[in-house]
Amino acid sequence: MLVETAGLTKVFGEIRAVDDLSVAIPDGAIGLVGPNGAGKTTFLRLLLGLLRPTAGSARVLGHGIEDGVAVRERIGYMPEHDCLIPDMTGIGLVSYMGRVSGLDKDTAMGRAHDVLQFVGVEEERYRKVAEYSTGMKQKIKLAQAMVHDPQLYIFDEPTTGLDPRGRAEMLDLVRTIARSPGRNVILSSHLLPDVETICKYVTILDGGRQIASGDIATLLVGENRIRVDVRGDRDAFIRRLKEAGHDAEAGPLGVRVARKPGVEADVFGAAHAVGAEIRYLGAEIRSLEELFLELVERTSGGSK
Amino acid sequence: MSISLPTYTRREAPLLGRRDRLRTIVTTGLRREFKRPAAIFAIGVGTAITTITAIVFVLFAPFFLPGQPLDLRFFYLPASNVAILFFVSLMASVIGAALISDDLDSMALTLYLSRPITPSDYLIAKAAILVPLISMVSVLPLVITPLLGLVLGLFPWDTALAAMGLAVLVGSVLTAWYTSISLFLSSLTRRKSYAAAGVFGVTFGLWIPAQVLAAPGALNNPNLLYLAPWEDFLAVARGAYGVTGGPIDWPLALGILAATTVLAGVATYLRMRAVEVVTG
Repeated sequence: MLVETAGLTKVFGEIRAVDDLSVAIPDGAIGLVGPNGAGKTTFLRLLLGLLRPTAGSARVLGHGIEDGVAVRERIGYMPEHDCLIPDMTGIGLVSYMGRVSGLDKDTAMGRAHDVLQFVGVEEERYRKVAEYSTGMKQKIKLAQAMVHDPQLYIFDEPTTGLDPRGRAEMLDLVRTIARSPGRNVILSSHLLPDVETICKYVTILDGGRQIASGDIATLLVGENRIRVDVRGDRDAFIRRLKEAGHDAEAGPLGVRVARKPGVEADVFGAAHAVGAEIRYLGAEIRSLEELFLELVERTSGGSK
Repeated sequence: MSISLPTYTRREAPLLGRRDRLRTIVTTGLRREFKRPAAIFAIGVGTAITTITAIVFVLFAPFFLPGQPLDLRFFYLPASNVAILFFVSLMASVIGAALISDDLDSMALTLYLSRPITPSDYLIAKAAILVPLISMVSVLPLVITPLLGLVLGLFPWDTALAAMGLAVLVGSVLTAWYTSISLFLSSLTRRKSYAAAGVFGVTFGLWIPAQVLAAPGALNNPNLLYLAPWEDFLAVARGAYGVTGGPIDWPLALGILAATTVLAGVATYLRMRAVEVVTG
């Protein structure tokens, strides 16, 4: 397992930033999503060993987070915000960070050249970081996370501030890393399509709790529902289905009906009765964004 | 014919220990300081002036202390040189004040603390950058003075050796205090100019009013001099070199300097642990 937590809790005053979180995240590319204040930041800080949990425990790559140094030796962290040392050159900064991670001087310099070539900062590597564009700074941040060849990469909003071309380049790099054997990625992002295209597994947090976790492909398929796209009087169609004893509701992409024996016949019967036309009937496959909104809405509805 | 695909595994590089990681931060930090014009000026001019004045004290010792035998007490004279106070303050403000505040301002602290080092490692490394630079003003001139006196035959070797040992101890007290205070002030702000002003404020903002208020024409209370770190240092130097008759006692002065050094260090450590280093 990449990350295992048991009752992980972090309390700041009266705020439970992470609340009794028990997750088992497998190896691979993992998306960490959640609305603002969901506890993603605190969760990452706990994983990096920078915060002590109020209660519970966590293991990252088999190491307890109380041993922060051992954990961070195996993690490459790419922060969201600007964090580079402006008066250093690109190559100087990346090799420096490699050495602070424990690489010897020659290995750090060799790796720094390799990773800068990988991220596409070649000619500019001898310029000072202060002179770099936003896209190049993002690439340097990625390179410094890679230099010591960690087992786990934590990317925090890696496409922030990038233009469409830069965003595509950055996603390609992250995807390449995520697909490399022996490397694992935790991608924390608000851009759910980015998570959907790169990650196989997602953990969704809200209010410091995990509200969903699992294989993205499985989560996106509605477990017990079918989706019906109707042309015609949708409200009357839903009413008719409810009268027939079905659980039906309007969704953003059609009508969602609980799956049970005979539902297909009743759907066609209801459509016929109200003069509506069925355009699609099948498994409900949502986008990650739809799933996310649904879960967050359900959670906030439940908490009210 | 069969084709076997290459198997790929991550190449584990052996990682060096924490001592090597800290050494990297210290050596890189020192190299960066020696590229900054302001730091070069403070180090160069400060070391030159304090060392030259120390040499002048030795060469003209009988002129400065007429009638006094040239024994251990003589070395209080170079230790009480006000140029040391000025240049130690200057180096602490130019170099020390920027050590943490620059990392807070650029948010490079995130990079450091997401590496396999602890906040205390980070602080130790930053202190280790500042200590040798301040020592070039606070310790070096005090060590050179007895050494030169020994070479010139002005002092017997046992007196010179004792003076050199005491110079290291006395100078270290001043170095530790300025290192701790300047790092503490540096950790409080993203603007190094504020921290630099704080160093001068703590030094001269306490020293000058304490002297004025302690004078016979004012409150006439020499205990006020305990508030001034420089006066505390002078009291410690007097105690070390055996000079009598100072306005304040050296044990209490040493206690105040040691306590503020430790307090500032602990406060800086707590401050570093509280700094938000991961956002998202």
